[in-house]
Amino acid sequence: MRQTAHIIKFIHSALVPERRLQVCCLSVFCLLGFVACEQAEPTSYLIPKEDRSLTMPAPVADSAKEKASAPLDGSMRILPGMQAAADEAGGLSYTVPEGWEDLPASGIRKANLKVSDENGTAELTVLVFPGDVGGRLANINRWRGQVGLDNAPSEDLPKFTEGYAISQHPGLYVRLEGGAQSILGGLLPFHGSTWFFKFLGNSSTVLSNEAKMKAFLDSVQLEDSHH
Amino acid sequence: MKPLFQFFSSLKLTVVLLSFSLLLIFFGTLDQVQYGIWHTQELYFESFLVVWAFPEHAPLGQHLDWIRIPMPGGYLLGGMLLINLLAAHFTRFKLSWAKCGIFLIHFGLILLLISELMTDILAVESQMPVDEGGSSNYSQGFRENELVFIDRSHSEHDSVHTIPASLLKPGKRIDVPNTPLSIRTVRYHANAEIGRATSGSPTESIATRGVAVRMGIIVNPKPETYSEDEINTVSAFVEVFKGEASLGTWLVCNVMDERFPPQMVNAGDRSFEIALRFTRHYYPFEIELIDFKHEKYPGTEVPFNFSSEVKLTHQDSTKNQKALIYMNHPLRYEGLTFFQASFANQDKTSIFQVVRNPGWLLPYLSVLLMGLGMCAQFGRHFFKFLGKQRG
Repeated sequence: MRQTAHIIKFIHSALVPERRLQVCCLSVFCLLGFVACEQAEPTSYLIPKEDRSLTMPAPVADSAKEKASAPLDGSMRILPGMQAAADEAGGLSYTVPEGWEDLPASGIRKANLKVSDENGTAELTVLVFPGDVGGRLANINRWRGQVGLDNAPSEDLPKFTEGYAISQHPGLYVRLEGGAQSILGGLLPFHGSTWFFKFLGNSSTVLSNEAKMKAFLDSVQLEDSHH
Repeated sequence: MKPLFQFFSSLKLTVVLLSFSLLLIFFGTLDQVQYGIWHTQELYFESFLVVWAFPEHAPLGQHLDWIRIPMPGGYLLGGMLLINLLAAHFTRFKLSWAKCGIFLIHFGLILLLISELMTDILAVESQMPVDEGGSSNYSQGFRENELVFIDRSHSEHDSVHTIPASLLKPGKRIDVPNTPLSIRTVRYHANAEIGRATSGSPTESIATRGVAVRMGIIVNPKPETYSEDEINTVSAFVEVFKGEASLGTWLVCNVMDERFPPQMVNAGDRSFEIALRFTRHYYPFEIELIDFKHEKYPGTEVPFNFSSEVKLTHQDSTKNQKALIYMNHPLRYEGLTFFQASFANQDKTSIFQVVRNPGWLLPYLSVLLMGLGMCAQFGRHFFKFLGKQRG
């Protein structure tokens, strides 16, 4: 009973205009103090099982237009330092297969070729990255993802890859036959970097140009400053 | 007490505070040139005090760069205006029909000030890039980062343990929640260039484990960027402990994404993937991008419309739905608003701005109240005037 009387007295006193202002000031300052001290905390949570090999496009800070460094081929993003590494890797020479179009190299692309036929188009890109970029299996599975194939275990690699010499160095030839799209590719570890030759596009276009793709790989000569 | 009460309720204070608000907006707009919108917002409007410095690159910058102008920040001005308005009500205004218009206007204004504060505290903005044919169940911040330890040993789910990057202060020891691990930040760079050690560059690195050692990656710190179309490459050297035993020092960086081999921390019977990434927000639903359309004005590259046809698959299947998101037509779903923000990857990827703002209705309500208040106030005067004319 006495407590209730105290509370009523307190409410009465809080309703006096000057007291009301004190209460308001205090509330506003508490609120602002709370804002000033607001800081994120460490947390834990569970998420549905994630496929580690799936790649998400990078966030694009610019909301109005595509940036120059936006993803070029669906999953590759130019990291700071990558451009320098690509520049450092040296150039290459090659013969453009008949009927293919040689587009200008841009950004981190060392070469860029395109072919079109009645079925569709396909594009060949040549990129070079430092290190092994996650290893042979991870790269091939990334390519498999791009043509809608599931990840393959390492023991299945011989089913769609074969040893292939590129620029007189031991590389790998990759044949990924997807649904609508397919990839024929070459991987070449070369003096601490990895060269990627990816021929991606409409399945019929890509597969009907397989001989030309191999001829292209045979014609590739990398600038080799290490010998 | 009375002088203080008079001070807080005085109209002069209102005028002074509004003048400072004008100055704050003026100098904030000037600084937006060098700091970009987000940083300016933090500096000027989400602070108690701000000091404007004469920009070096401005004309006469070399001679006048000693000029500093301190002024109250947005929190201080907003808080004072709120108190001023409330105090004025308690002293000067008595609730009556004649004053109801003024009351409505002021109440709307108070609500607007509170809603701004609520937005600042509670609103979260992030981006969700989705490829055509692909789907996503999370969005990621583009300024905030987090250090994560992910345990992928369970067959049904992954457990994620996160530490916000804002807590990574050199020398500070932090426990990783719900794990036997703790970390100590050895070095933290808000922006840096990450590259491979070349023959001419210094190769010194303090990392003892992980990708930095295997691939010879080095970090060159550089100034933080505030540009809206660039991201900061945040990197940190983090020493991981199990109990008191050090397990090694790893280099983590927000651009070392899925293309890099995962960096693993083995802590006896459990192993964790360690990474620094843009802060992720996971949702109990997935957004699948069925089709993205990008229309341009004929003969130009100027975008006319972007639209994304999406399918939402919720864990609770009664909430599944399809939607079309396009410019000025966001999707509101589960307390989130999805705006069509951008696109990438030769129009194959749509990027949504995801906003969680529990107070999003308050500004509409306050503007409505203020509108009604003005109608009541001016209407009353108008009819009074008409009455006099007739009389």
